[in-house]
Amino acid sequence: MNRKLFAGCDVGSTTGKAVLLNSNGILGQAVCQSEIDPEETAKKVLAQACEMATTNISPNDITYLIGTGYGRREVPFANENISEITCHAMGAFSCLPETRTIIDIGGQDVKAISVGTKGDVLDFAMNDKCAAGTGRFFEMMAKIFRMDIELFSDLSLQSKKTIAVTSQCSVFAETEVITLLAKRKNPADIAAGIQTSVARRCFTLMKKTGIEPLVTITGGCSKNKGLVKALEKKLRMPIQNLPIDPQLMGAYGAAVMAMKRYAG
Amino acid sequence: MGIYSQIQDQIVYYQSWYKNYCNIMHMPIRHGPVQTVKNLHKYPWLWQLAKVNRLLDMVTKGRQGNYRKATAAVVEKVVPNLMQLLDNLNTDTDRLVLHEDMVPPEILFAMGLKTWMSELLGILLPMVDSHSVEKYIDIAENAGIPPDVCSLPKGTMGIILNQEVPPVKAILTSNSPCDGGMASYQLIKNKLDIPMYQLDVPYNFYNERAINYFANELKEMIAWLETNTPGKMDWDHLRAICEERNRMAAYELELWEAIRQRPAPLAAEAVYLSHLWCFNVTPGDPGGTELFKYLVELANDNVQKNIAAVPNEKYRTVLWNPPLLHFIKLFSWAERHYGLTLIIDSMSYNRQPFIDTSTQESMLKGLAHIIMTGPMARHTRGPSENYFNDMFYIYTYFDLDMILVAGHIGCKNTAALNGILREKCRKKGIPVLIIDYDLSDPRVVSHDGIIRQMDRFMENIMKNTH
Repeated sequence: MNRKLFAGCDVGSTTGKAVLLNSNGILGQAVCQSEIDPEETAKKVLAQACEMATTNISPNDITYLIGTGYGRREVPFANENISEITCHAMGAFSCLPETRTIIDIGGQDVKAISVGTKGDVLDFAMNDKCAAGTGRFFEMMAKIFRMDIELFSDLSLQSKKTIAVTSQCSVFAETEVITLLAKRKNPADIAAGIQTSVARRCFTLMKKTGIEPLVTITGGCSKNKGLVKALEKKLRMPIQNLPIDPQLMGAYGAAVMAMKRYAG
Repeated sequence: MGIYSQIQDQIVYYQSWYKNYCNIMHMPIRHGPVQTVKNLHKYPWLWQLAKVNRLLDMVTKGRQGNYRKATAAVVEKVVPNLMQLLDNLNTDTDRLVLHEDMVPPEILFAMGLKTWMSELLGILLPMVDSHSVEKYIDIAENAGIPPDVCSLPKGTMGIILNQEVPPVKAILTSNSPCDGGMASYQLIKNKLDIPMYQLDVPYNFYNERAINYFANELKEMIAWLETNTPGKMDWDHLRAICEERNRMAAYELELWEAIRQRPAPLAAEAVYLSHLWCFNVTPGDPGGTELFKYLVELANDNVQKNIAAVPNEKYRTVLWNPPLLHFIKLFSWAERHYGLTLIIDSMSYNRQPFIDTSTQESMLKGLAHIIMTGPMARHTRGPSENYFNDMFYIYTYFDLDMILVAGHIGCKNTAALNGILREKCRKKGIPVLIIDYDLSDPRVVSHDGIIRQMDRFMENIMKNTH
C-alpha cells in the first residue's frame, strides 16, 4: 500500500489545492490561484504538488484521485468526486479525531459542519448566497485599508477597543468602513470590528448545526488570526489548530477518502 | 420491467390523458363559444388551467404499475372537479361565496352555496406552470404589499387586485393560519366591497370549551350566511356530506396502514395530492370516496404482490409544510435519483376523529375539531409541541429515515420552529433537510437551487451519490 499514491484535488472558487498522500503521510502539496477554467486549475495545482513532492512523482503515478470543491466535476483525471463538505470533515477528523465542529471559510462561501465520531457529516449549514464573511469579503476590506489580508489581520489584533461594524452586506459594510475611516476612527479598531462582524455571522451559522468541542477552522480564511481570535471570543471556547495547513483540508480529506475508497 | 408492463403503463397514461382532455374540452362546450371567449378574456389564468393535463405528465413520470395508475387516478379526480368549479364563473353566481381554505366547505355545500376557495388559484397555477403566479405576486407587491409576506396570499391578492376573481357575493375567512393570510382578507374585502365573515379560531384548542366556542362560531357563520346569501342550511344534506367524508377518511386510514410497510406500495401524490384535493376542496363528494377506495385496492394489491411503488426504495421521508407548489416534479425526480420515497406530508396527516353525525351540534363540533386541529392551524398556532409531536410521531409511525421540511421563506410562523427542529433532530439523530425556497415563486430559489440543496444533503448526510 505504501507504494500506492493517492491524491485529493480541491478546486475552489479562489484557489486550487492538491495533496499527495501515501500510507506514510503527505508527500506533496500545493495551493494556486484558480484559473477561469476549473480543469486548468486542477491540472496546474496537481502538477505543482507533484513538483513539490519529496520524491519524484508525476500525475500519472497516482493510483486513485478524488476531486472536490466547487469545480470537482471538472477535474479530468479524478477517479471520483466527493462534496467538499464531506472532504473537509474527513480531513479535519483525520488530523484531529476529536473534531466535532468545523467552520470552513472559503473564498466565496462559508460552511458549518457537524462531525460524527467516525469523521462523517452529521449536519451542515452553508452560506453560498452572500459574499459577506467570505474570503472575497476580506479581500475587499483589506483593499480599503490599502494592505493585504495578512497585514489587515495583524492590524485587527492591535485593537484596544473594537468599533462595531453593523452592516452585514459586503457592499454596505464597505461604505460603513470608509465612513468610519473618514471620521478618523482608529483603523485597528475598525479592522477588529470587521473581524467581529464576520465572527458573528459564522457563529449564527454554526448555531444551526450545533457547536460541540473540539472546534476547528478550515479554508483560506483560517489563516486570518484576527478572525480566529474574534470567533474564539464569540464561541467562548478555543479553536483548535490543525497539524496540517487548514487551507488544504478539503484536498487532504479527499486524498484520505481516496485511500479509503481504494482500500475498499 | 417487461415490454408488456411498459405498454400497460403507456395505456394508463394515454387513457387518463384522454379522459382529462375530454373533461377540459367539455367546459367550453357547456359554456358556449361566446361565453368561453369572454371568460378567457376576463380570467386569463384559465389559459394556464387549460393546461392542467400537465400535472399528469409530472406525476406519472418514471412511475410504474399500480403506482402510475394511482397517481393518474388522482389527476383524473382533480381535472373534472376543477372544470365543475369553473362552471361557477357563470352559473348561480348569486350563490358564489369566496372562502379561505380554513373555512369548512362542507357547510357551504350543505347550504346549497357555490364555493370559490380564494387560495385555490395560488395553489393550482404554480403546480401546472411554475411561473404562472409571478405576475400576480408582482401586482400585489407593486400595490404595496410587503415582499416578505407569504407568496400564497400575495398571489391571491394580486388576482383580486387585477380584477380576475369570479363574481363572488360574500367572503368567509378566519384568523388562521398566518398574519399575512389574515391581513390579505381585509384588502380583499375592501377591493370587492362585499360582506365578510371572519371565524375566530381559538388559540388553545385542546379542550371542550374551545370546541364549543368554535362550534358556536360556525353556527353564527351559518346564520350570517343565511342573512347575506340565498343559502339555507339543510342539516340532512350536511349529515350526508359528513358521512361521506367519514367513509373517505376510513379508506384513507387504510391507505396509511398500507404505506407504513417498507417498501411502500404507494407514495407521494397518490397520498398527498389525493388528500389535498378531496378533503379540502371537495369533501363529501362520493367520487372522493371512490378514489380512496381505489387507492387502497391498488396499495393492497402491491402489498400482496410485494411490489414497491419506488422499485429501489432506499430512504423514506415525510414532507413538512405545504408541498413545493411550483416544483411538483421534485419527488418523482428524487425517487429516480436517490430512491427517496415521500411517504406522507404534514398537510395530509390529520389525526382527527370521524364526525359524529348524530345531531346538528355534534356535526358542528366535528367540523370545528377538524378545522381547529387541521395541519395549517395546529402547526402554525399554539404551542410548538403541536409541530414537533406530530412530526416525530409520523417519523416513528411510518418508519421513516429522514425529515424534509419545505422551508418556505414567507412562512414566519415556522421559521423559528425550524431552528428548534434542527436542534431536536440533532439530539434524536434524525437527518433533517430544511429546503430554502418560496412556496409559489421560483424566482426566489430556482428548481436547480432546490436540487442543489437536495444533492448536498443526500451526498453529505445520507451518504449517497448518483
